[in-house]
Amino acid sequence: MKDRDCEVLIVGAGYAGLSAARALTRAGVDVLVAEARDRVGGRVWTRSTTTGALIDHGGQWIGPGQEQLQKLADEYGADTFPTFTTGEGVEWRDGNRATYAGLVPTSDPAAAADGIEAIFELDLASAEVPLEAPWEAPDARARDEQTLGSWLATSVASDGARSIITAAVKSIFGTEPGELSLLFTLFYLHSGGGLMNLARTTNGAQERRFTAGAQQCALAMAEELGDRVLLSSPVVGVDHGPDGVVATVAVPRDGDPEPLRLRARRAIVAMPPALSVRLHWSPPLPGRRDQMSMRAPMGSVTKIHAVYDRPFWRDDGLNGQVVSDEGAVRVTFDDSPPDASHGIILGFVAGSECRALDGCTPSERAGAAIADLVRYFGPQAASPLEVVEQHWPAEPFTRGGPVTVFSPGLLTDFGPALRDPVGPVHWAGTETATVWCGYIDGALSSGVRAAGEVLAALGR
Amino acid sequence: MADRDEIAEAYADWRLRCNANERLRRMLRGWDRVVHLVATDTGDRFTVVVCDQLLAELAAGADAVADLIVTATSEDFADLFWGDLNPSEKYMSGEITLAGAQEDVMRLDAMSMVAFLDQ
Repeated sequence: MKDRDCEVLIVGAGYAGLSAARALTRAGVDVLVAEARDRVGGRVWTRSTTTGALIDHGGQWIGPGQEQLQKLADEYGADTFPTFTTGEGVEWRDGNRATYAGLVPTSDPAAAADGIEAIFELDLASAEVPLEAPWEAPDARARDEQTLGSWLATSVASDGARSIITAAVKSIFGTEPGELSLLFTLFYLHSGGGLMNLARTTNGAQERRFTAGAQQCALAMAEELGDRVLLSSPVVGVDHGPDGVVATVAVPRDGDPEPLRLRARRAIVAMPPALSVRLHWSPPLPGRRDQMSMRAPMGSVTKIHAVYDRPFWRDDGLNGQVVSDEGAVRVTFDDSPPDASHGIILGFVAGSECRALDGCTPSERAGAAIADLVRYFGPQAASPLEVVEQHWPAEPFTRGGPVTVFSPGLLTDFGPALRDPVGPVHWAGTETATVWCGYIDGALSSGVRAAGEVLAALGR
Repeated sequence: MADRDEIAEAYADWRLRCNANERLRRMLRGWDRVVHLVATDTGDRFTVVVCDQLLAELAAGADAVADLIVTATSEDFADLFWGDLNPSEKYMSGEITLAGAQEDVMRLDAMSMVAFLDQ
């Protein structure tokens, strides 16, 4: 058994863990970051495809108000460019195709107006939810007993409006509206500036992309941390007590068959709650922390990139965005590089559609996606140079995405357990963020918050 | 390019329609605000006051302190008020800008979309 000692162990080298590690290192604390995967970035993962196109398998956008991420991008010189939005979107509803300009599909103007009013009501209600303590919101319990689905069923009259909101919600959370606590939904919307803001490209959460991919800043942080980041080192168990923590790393690791133990005075676990409880905890975590995690499943999403030799839909005056009520892919974006050297459509397969295709092969999923793109963009969509998919539920160290969702009852009965330390163990991750919860920006601030807790505990 | 009179005429029409729209009245609940309109090409400035769920008449000039500032070309203002222009499209393309507190921007964004859709 090989032992390594440090002052603070960080489990997970996503944006949250790296942000915590960077803050602590800069404060003179000796840290180690144990990452299960062979890369950093967590749910942010940039890859070059075989045709040389750069794509993000996970989180990819930066928008106004994401100050932590913008600061980091400025610091590391990570350039961004606007998401392509010129032209009209495609609406597919009840078997009919139409095009529309602006934020919402307008083939049925009354339904669109209903949809806008519903989004407006949600955004107004969300502003009343305190970000630090959503469980103290007006009518917190009544709202935490409801789901967004039940709210839509009783508060939104037209099918068309529900369909528009459902498509947006599924892409944002990777779940069906009926799985989301209404209180959590309102908290999440407030945290990101409202549903209108989360749904928008320009002037909203999808406004810009990273020229070198969204993983760039994670790679830069990891480079700064150097050999303090241990890749391919999945922590499987954590012993914790007044003297600190001892984490066991699974074997065999890359090229090193000897078991590794990491000892530290404090730990920051920067993993989604549902995954954090899969570690073997000794002594067991308090009931409240464990039960909270049972109520915090990962969403279900597959990101599919269809790569073409050029963005042919632009010739038809289309901006590459789709809102649909049918098929595997129901929301798309133009994800082409800034120089349009390739044409790339990004499609989301989310919620029930993602689950229905879980047993399929990647090529079967790709086939379903391409059939959808042909319906939306015409026969040219049938011949991509390649289709690249990332089926997040199958990813061994993520098991879903894009975000964790909170089931009814979590916030009102277990909310503080999201962040309350357990002895020497602190919690980070975008799920614990109060601002931009679920986003890269929230991951960054959660890391800084957890690092602050640790510094205070260490008397530094 | 639209002159002041054209914008005022279009606004008067839009105001009548907005103030008669029940959905918009609901959306303006508790939202009394001063909004400045700035035409980027002519430099003309106007003030719209929202009070008690109603839009007041358009006033020339922009002297009072504003909660929100909207910028667009004079033509876009006129088209928007005539109901010929989807404000969401121009906001998305950056040709219309809204400056103010986030909630105020959201309110104006939503109500202008509804005014367009609900005509």
